[in-house]
Amino acid sequence: MFHWLEKNPFFFAVGVFVVIAFAGLIEILPNFAEASRPVVGLKPYTVLELAGKEVYKKDNCIACHSQLIRPFKSETDRYGQYSLSGEYAYDRPFLWGSKRTGPDLHRVGNYRTSDWHANHMWDPKSVVPQSIMPAYKHQFTNIADIDTAYAEALTVKKVFATPYDAPNGTKLGTLDEGRAAALAEAKVIAADMKNKDVEALVAKGEIPEVVAIIAYMNRLK
Amino acid sequence: MDIRAIQAYAWFALTIFAVVMLYGYIVHLYRSEKKGTRDYEKYGKLALDDEITSKPIEENPSHKPKNEE
Amino acid sequence: MQSNAALEYDYSVVKLFTYTTILFGILGMLVGTLIASQLAFPELNYLIGEYGTFSRLRPIHTDVVVYGFLLSGIWATFYYISQRVLKVSMAESKFIMTIAKIHFWLYFVGALLAVISLLLGYTTSKEYAEFEWPIDIVVVLIWVLWGVAMFALIGMRREKSLYISMWYYIACFLGVAMLYLFNNMEVPTYFASGGIGSIMHSVSMYSGTNDALVQWWFGHNAVAFIFTVGIIAQIYYFLPKESGQAIYSYKLSLLSFWGLMFVYLWAGSHHLLWSTVPDWMQTMGSVFSVVLILPSWGSAINMLLTMKGEWNQLTENPLIKLMVLASTFYMLSTIEGPIQAIKSVNAIAHFTDWIPGHVHDGVLGWVVFMTMAALFHMAPRIFKREIYSKKLIETQFWLQITAIVLYFTSMWIAGITQGMMWRAVDEYGNLMYSFIDTVDVLHPYYVIRALAGLMYFTGFVMFAYNMYKTITSSRVITEELTNKTPMAA
Repeated sequence: MFHWLEKNPFFFAVGVFVVIAFAGLIEILPNFAEASRPVVGLKPYTVLELAGKEVYKKDNCIACHSQLIRPFKSETDRYGQYSLSGEYAYDRPFLWGSKRTGPDLHRVGNYRTSDWHANHMWDPKSVVPQSIMPAYKHQFTNIADIDTAYAEALTVKKVFATPYDAPNGTKLGTLDEGRAAALAEAKVIAADMKNKDVEALVAKGEIPEVVAIIAYMNRLK
Repeated sequence: MDIRAIQAYAWFALTIFAVVMLYGYIVHLYRSEKKGTRDYEKYGKLALDDEITSKPIEENPSHKPKNEE
Repeated sequence: MQSNAALEYDYSVVKLFTYTTILFGILGMLVGTLIASQLAFPELNYLIGEYGTFSRLRPIHTDVVVYGFLLSGIWATFYYISQRVLKVSMAESKFIMTIAKIHFWLYFVGALLAVISLLLGYTTSKEYAEFEWPIDIVVVLIWVLWGVAMFALIGMRREKSLYISMWYYIACFLGVAMLYLFNNMEVPTYFASGGIGSIMHSVSMYSGTNDALVQWWFGHNAVAFIFTVGIIAQIYYFLPKESGQAIYSYKLSLLSFWGLMFVYLWAGSHHLLWSTVPDWMQTMGSVFSVVLILPSWGSAINMLLTMKGEWNQLTENPLIKLMVLASTFYMLSTIEGPIQAIKSVNAIAHFTDWIPGHVHDGVLGWVVFMTMAALFHMAPRIFKREIYSKKLIETQFWLQITAIVLYFTSMWIAGITQGMMWRAVDEYGNLMYSFIDTVDVLHPYYVIRALAGLMYFTGFVMFAYNMYKTITSSRVITEELTNKTPMAA
């Protein structure tokens, strides 16, 4: 019976496809609705945080940092409460990572300050002498792409019904409102960073990448 | 019945089905060779005798080479 | 219409893909060696400004090796093997020739664009699927072209039955197509938002845990359908051909094929053990990973038994040595993988260097060795010259074996050390080490690994040199070639 397949490539291909597609159908599809439900009180990312997430992706932080605290005592002691599925509901893509050359960052906002991050991104060894992380000095001069971040927020609002502009939620508004809100948020962080050059840039209305990524990391709690 | 239960039953039924199929297949392969209705191992020669001039083990009837037109 | 000249297999596309295999192999391994050294010596992060950090280069290493080097190798061997086992020449059809040529050139240009886009930081940050949507579209086109060429070639075959290698190529084509499409479902924000921001940017159709599931369903299997399926396709042809021994058991190859197809896809969720995906799915990932040993070993044992009674060839023919060693490493990594997928082992191993260690004993030992053996076997047949130097192959072999052993042993120790240190507690139940302690302790292992990388890379350069000399200045072959690949001492 089976021998027939090797002589009939079309049905052979169909057979292979059915067999390999089966796992996906059973394993992945049925859980979709359930796994995407946000935890209570979860707010969508602000435009500046999204711009920071873009920097996180652009410099590919997931190569060395995870965002997934596993349910072991050693991990909850080190990083805080273990991660819940609903906390990731607005993460497109997920940024769990697969390797911890550096520590987990899922709740880094709880125990690091803007000031600390600023020093660390400029020169990791200044705060952690044995660190092997590269310095990300270019983030202090590269300007974050706020418009693209706004476009992303608008896209997820339109296409995936992410609850922007809901009462007590994250406000998105028009593009100009989004830019203004990002700049206001950036000014607060720049002041915390205690870095004159960054403050000067933000005062000019330009937000360096480092401000955005700090906004994103402060949000990780 | 919720989706979880359906999933569980589907998975169980599928596993049983797959196991039966696999073992049935093994038995089928070895039995048909023993009875002499089939010789599977001759297809192993496909890799060794693979010049374009060598004779196919089984001609593909739908093959229409251009140079014979 | 055809001239009277005897019909011959046409290897022009095979040659093109052979060149890119070597080119991307050198590039990918060079970057790999660099980033391995960066972990040992962080100053190396600043060679080319923001484009030279470990994080930016890491996807370039993985993607160039997987989609540059390996896919080129798979396609070079595909266009070679499929003509021969189907007993049909590409020269018989202008259509196939054209498609295959477009396939190559689009691939080459696409690969270069992909590398540049990653360097510039256009990435979705999904491992092995980093390309942004415009590159994804090019990838889909390339894949479709391959499919057209493959099924067109199959359609005009003389031999009715498809040989084992062809099953695996078909599976590689279908598997990667399905996985890639579903994992890269994304919405370009420029269009969805009515023209705001960067045109390159997109958001994933899936969020959070769902995205993770789809990603690792892809990540595990796309890699598998290239690293495993695409390479098994080669060994099922080249080992029998080079040794002159028919495959030990055709029936066993049938069983392992269908077994592998069925089991492989279930195992993806073992990348997400202890995460927020549902428990039953994690368990299933674990269980199926262990079951996966059966079909994997089925193929590997079939290879080793093919050499039954012919083991003397191992000492006489370096290509046999490469291939036998490749299948041995295949066995090693397919037993190591399931061990890591056991939940309690995974609790220690996950996030540590044991994982790259596992990947590399698979790829360095199995995948690259097989690909090099395939290229060595094909070279005299497509370029009509004998292999330039047997001695060079021998030297390269021992250099690279040593490198692999250094690589995986250092990463095993590093991974397990770090995994244990993360969870070590003192008598009061407090954590014993800060995170940086566990980084500091790894320095010697990172140095060994960087050294191993350098050795392996050197071996690959020797391979490239040997190929170059073979193609350009080796003795021209006039006699008919049968099994053993001719090589100068």
